Amino acid sequence: MRTPGTYISATGHVALIGWLFFGWGFNADPLDFDAMDVSVISGEAFEELIAARTPEPTDANPTAPVQPEIDDTPPPPPAVEDPAEHTPPPDPVDPPDNELPPPPAPEVLVTEAEDTPPETLDVPAAPPPSPNVDLNTPPAPTQAARVASTPTAPPPPDAQVDDIVREEVVPDETATAEVVTEDTTPTAPEETATEIAIEDKKPSGLVETSLRPVSRPSRPTPPAPEPDAPTETVEAPTEVETPSDDAVEAALAAALAVEAPAVAAGPPMTGAERDSFRISVNRCWNVDPGSVAARVTVEVAFELDRNGLVVGQPRLVASDGDQSATNIAFEAARRAILRCQSGGYALPADKYEQWKEVVFTFDPSGMRLR
Amino acid sequence: MKKILTLLVALLLAGPVAAQNGPLRLTITDGVIEPITFAAPVFEAENAEAAQVVNNLNRLVAQDLSGTGLFREIPANAYISQITSFAQPIAFADWRAINAQALVTGAVAVNGNQMTVKFRLYDIYSGQELGGGLQLAGTTAGWRRMGHKVADAVYSRITGEGGYFDSRVVYVAESGPKDNRQMRLAVMDFDGENTQYLTDSSAIVLAPRFSPTGDRILYTSYESGFPRINLLNVANVGRQQLQTAPGEMAFSPRFSRDGGSVIYSLSNGGNTDIFRSDLASGQYTRLTSAPSIETAPSLSPDGTQIVFESDRSGTQQLYIMSANGGEARRISFGEGRYSTPVWSPRGDLVAFTKQNAGRFHIGVMRTDGSEERLLTASFLDEGPTWSPNGRVIMFSRETQGESGTSSLYSIDISGRNLKAVPVQGAGSDPSWGPLQP
Repeated sequence: MRTPGTYISATGHVALIGWLFFGWGFNADPLDFDAMDVSVISGEAFEELIAARTPEPTDANPTAPVQPEIDDTPPPPPAVEDPAEHTPPPDPVDPPDNELPPPPAPEVLVTEAEDTPPETLDVPAAPPPSPNVDLNTPPAPTQAARVASTPTAPPPPDAQVDDIVREEVVPDETATAEVVTEDTTPTAPEETATEIAIEDKKPSGLVETSLRPVSRPSRPTPPAPEPDAPTETVEAPTEVETPSDDAVEAALAAALAVEAPAVAAGPPMTGAERDSFRISVNRCWNVDPGSVAARVTVEVAFELDRNGLVVGQPRLVASDGDQSATNIAFEAARRAILRCQSGGYALPADKYEQWKEVVFTFDPSGMRLR
Repeated sequence: MKKILTLLVALLLAGPVAAQNGPLRLTITDGVIEPITFAAPVFEAENAEAAQVVNNLNRLVAQDLSGTGLFREIPANAYISQITSFAQPIAFADWRAINAQALVTGAVAVNGNQMTVKFRLYDIYSGQELGGGLQLAGTTAGWRRMGHKVADAVYSRITGEGGYFDSRVVYVAESGPKDNRQMRLAVMDFDGENTQYLTDSSAIVLAPRFSPTGDRILYTSYESGFPRINLLNVANVGRQQLQTAPGEMAFSPRFSRDGGSVIYSLSNGGNTDIFRSDLASGQYTRLTSAPSIETAPSLSPDGTQIVFESDRSGTQQLYIMSANGGEARRISFGEGRYSTPVWSPRGDLVAFTKQNAGRFHIGVMRTDGSEERLLTASFLDEGPTWSPNGRVIMFSRETQGESGTSSLYSIDISGRNLKAVPVQGAGSDPSWGPLQP
């Protein structure tokens, strides 16, 4: 039993080893070729290929065309390489391919990149000044520091002045012009200072520079809300001067004058306060989902007195539907606002300036039939 | 010029101000769905004769409005102030206190068989009158129509849609057991009153359809043993057989929007197609030519398209094609079979009958097939017809079993307010006519 099995096993193993031996010999040859490729022929190939490259980089994007061209080039290298080493000519081609493509690509990119810089380089005659300007702009901030010294004073005074102004404005709602002048007088000097700061920056930008320095100062200016309000208050009187003609203009001037103090009207309403207000109107907004009005969104504006009661009638501000559907949607919205006020909407009294004017958008899109 | 310039400057300056420091802005997205409350105190009787009718008239107006499901009447015993005169000023606070959102006041005068009705409508919370006062004149015998017209005006002013109270419905009045059912054409007011029978029960009649002006009725009759289309004049009940294209059976007719032609189905050799015939000349046009069954055509309000049912896909589905025929596009893709499509007077919806899983439904979908909604479900619901304003659908519902009978129901397109229409006896296959002039 053992003997036949052992024989068979022995013969099998011998055959397998023999086959592996011959097979290993065959496999070893191609592997040697690969190993030869990497090590040796790189230097000359680079020069020749780089010389011949200029056509290739244009075609460089598709890799396939590169190879045929290289096939043309290799014949010269083999002539040179034959003395040095044997078969490799095909192999050297592959490594340069892998290595060369990166260089051409950067070359092309660089040339393009260089194209753009030259334009800047045309300016560069100027660029030395531009860095100087950049260096000068930091000093501009230092000038701003001068201005900043004065502004630091204004912020606290703004808050104080606002409180006083509110009390005066509210009772004098009808006589708005006087209130405007009062606002301008206290705020004007401070704000002129801030505006002058802007003008100061302009001369600093007067140096021959690109657009960038201009844009930089423009960014800092918007964040400061204070200069805006002053400009408005300053403008309001200018309008007061002209409006002798028209009642509409007077109304606009009055609106501007009233809104100016509202800017600084204490803390904003919290999300809970806004939600509470919204919910109190929700429950009176009766939507008929089958109606044409259910496809119309309307904006309705109204004013509230200090008790939260609607003053006058809500009015339609905007709509995205046709006339008849808009009318129905508006009437439903008006009914909701007037019905639910009952004794007055419960709103924080200390934030009256925040909610004295309200615009509700009634959007029934979520209630349409589906 | 100077004014305009200064105004423009002012507006430019005011713009950014409003954007930055404007009023409190909130968006309301969740409202409630509930009836609008209204009060309708008894109308003032301007003379002694009118006293007999004011109460009925007032009740009719209130019933019409409440019956829509969109309004709820506040009972008279809740009133704080009374309306004794049509001219008296309105104490809005009193009506606000009982949560009335609308108030209808009126006055009636009767002279012999003539009567006049005046009414006003108030929006209580804005303290304003909605629309101007309106006065109607008519006969005392037609007091119901005058009441319907008042209700239509109130409904229209509050909802912005046309009313449908002063309209009539033609239907098939049925009597007798299922295996020997007697059928007659009948017309009634939308609320089931004033029923009149237009034909006797000697022949089977089906599918009556009002003309756009309500003066004529098309229907299918088996008088000759085969279905044929008849045209009936409502005023004198005179009728004639419609001249159609040659074929074995003609049925499922509907008027064109101008009432000058008829679209219908014609069956020949087992194939059914849709045709159009001119009423005056009798000339006909074939609109479909598929080997399948095409039937139940209904025109769009603008008269440019036809929705119909076809089994070309293997089951009954809804398709839309040009009013002149041509290629049709399928719009129904849900499970089950769709039939009897009817285009809404508003033009935005198609109502249909759907049969699925052993149940019948009345449903609506948009004309592109989207937003399909099933409004009803029962053993057998079929044959929807639209109210003149496209807000309500009436249909026939049949109960199960040998003793089962057919009756008429209506439902709001929101799926609410399903209710039976009080028909004398049994009824089926309703067709809602236009608002009467």
